[in-house]
Amino acid sequence: MIPNRRNFLIGTSALAAGVSVSVPFFWPKYHSVRRAKRSRVAILHVERYSQRIDQVLASGLRLFRIDVQGKTVVLKPNLVDYILGNAINTHPTLVLAAAESFRRMGAKCVIVAEGPGHQRDTELVLWQSGYRESLRAEDIRFVDLNRDELVRTQLRASFMGMRSLWLPRTVLEADFLVSMPKIKAHHWAGVTLSMKNMLGVVPGSRYGWPKNILHWKGIQESILDVCATIPVHFVIADGIVAMEGNGPLNGTARPLGKIVLADDPVAADTTCARLMGFEPDRVVHIREGAKFLGNLSPALIDQVGEIPQPPTTPFQVVPEFRHLYAL
Amino acid sequence: MAELSRRQLPSGGWAALRSSAQASLEPTCLATLATGSEDSDAERRTQDFLLRLQNPNGSWPAFFGDDEDGVWVTSLAVIALRDVVSAVEARLRGVGWLLECVGRESNWLWKWKFRTVDRHVRFDPDKFGWPWIPDTVSWVVPTAFSILALSQLPCPCGSLEDIPIRVDRGIEMLIDRACPGGGWNAGNGIVYGSALAPHPDVTAVALLALSNRTQHPVIQTSVEWLEHTAVTLTAPWSLAWAILALAAHGRAIESLITSLGTLPDLSGNDDTCTLALVWLAVDCRRTLAALGVNL
Repeated sequence: MIPNRRNFLIGTSALAAGVSVSVPFFWPKYHSVRRAKRSRVAILHVERYSQRIDQVLASGLRLFRIDVQGKTVVLKPNLVDYILGNAINTHPTLVLAAAESFRRMGAKCVIVAEGPGHQRDTELVLWQSGYRESLRAEDIRFVDLNRDELVRTQLRASFMGMRSLWLPRTVLEADFLVSMPKIKAHHWAGVTLSMKNMLGVVPGSRYGWPKNILHWKGIQESILDVCATIPVHFVIADGIVAMEGNGPLNGTARPLGKIVLADDPVAADTTCARLMGFEPDRVVHIREGAKFLGNLSPALIDQVGEIPQPPTTPFQVVPEFRHLYAL
Repeated sequence: MAELSRRQLPSGGWAALRSSAQASLEPTCLATLATGSEDSDAERRTQDFLLRLQNPNGSWPAFFGDDEDGVWVTSLAVIALRDVVSAVEARLRGVGWLLECVGRESNWLWKWKFRTVDRHVRFDPDKFGWPWIPDTVSWVVPTAFSILALSQLPCPCGSLEDIPIRVDRGIEMLIDRACPGGGWNAGNGIVYGSALAPHPDVTAVALLALSNRTQHPVIQTSVEWLEHTAVTLTAPWSLAWAILALAAHGRAIESLITSLGTLPDLSGNDDTCTLALVWLAVDCRRTLAALGVNL
């Protein structure tokens, strides 16, 4: 090609077009990196839901540097729906034990907050799942995130292509937010762990039941955007009786006998995924979250309590997620 | 009722929770239906609030300050303004928006997707209704309320001539999305081959929209399921909806109303929608008339 003005202009135009098309693929979709240098995860062995959880959890929490003195603590359990005999929801015994522990640690106020994704009658789910009586007995306030006051919130990542979401004030104003998932296989997301659990904060009164917009924008992408925007300060995952197969509602109960505590949601989900017999980096939101939200690498996670051992038989999943199995 | 009136905000609307000051459309519409003409000044303030909040495209937002694209509560606003002469034009614009608003599965591309590569949720994409928010698929509750709203218009002529088609299509969609043993949940009867359980409140709302199709076997099974379930309910929201639906289908509701009255601390309920709905259930004949359901 003869170097002349015309060819130079064509060449630079082509280069500019190529750069403008390809750069978005390489540019990070998150606005800031919140990953700690090191993370801490504790696995506690608990066979069943009983009063003893109180003591086990309190001693587990002492393995972490937690300062909730004078703070508002919001516990976000996984409370989706109630089907008799199905291990769908975070067990209320664990939530009460957590509330009691944080009160003892000096929290100004402990609130339990959730926006069930499937059932519009939150009060009914609270009654059926045993929450209502327990919360009343311990004088713990519950906030229905599906109907809470909403604040337009700029998203701090752009995986799903939305600039903002309306999010509940109670969660946005929390000083210390604790994600309390039920460890479950999930037929759309692969797993329900601490990061997936955060989709419960998206309000039904604005986005519907289920929060269908998140499915259309991509579940993995939605999880990343919500977790980028609402920092999870601590994780208490209920794996005493977990769920495998066709979760989040119709799976099979899977006794695992574990509670997982962590100061980092990515590290928590990495450990939980291993306990389920999965390769954590094959779960898209864990792999992508490890770039900016927390740690996936075992070298960066201080494991206290039990060492995570993969189960003899991995958790069952729907066929679309068999690639999650560790080799 | 006194507690409901006390919760009305200076703007004329009601907030979803007692502790909130953010006026929302669903509690406002339910409270409007519940208070009726109790207090004409309060009623005027509510009507002004509803008219003020209407979006330029004819829809209504979920709450004061929301985006202007419109959501499912448009159908509730159309119902709540049904007897307001000065709101005729606003209602017609709301109806116009409802006629434009369709579940995403009505588009040929998504129809094809749900027929071929995405078949985990069993449903017929030819039978579509209304979504909670635009650009998503149809769900049971918004479809049922839209059917109720559109069925209230006396003359489907001119720009409203599509109403009968949309209503019929919505009714087909509701019947298609029923759970295998009767009743409805959000709209997923069978997922990954497993039947999902129905929800009492959603079943009741669907049955209200289907109150003139009593002979259909799906509806008969659903009424029986709801009648059987209602006696076990301890949550006022679901029980109140069940009372309204069972009354619409000619079932006895006296003992259910008694049960509703004995639930603890009803007026202290944090949820304003529930508070309004309890009153609507107690006054069920007037409520059904307001919803356009003939007994």
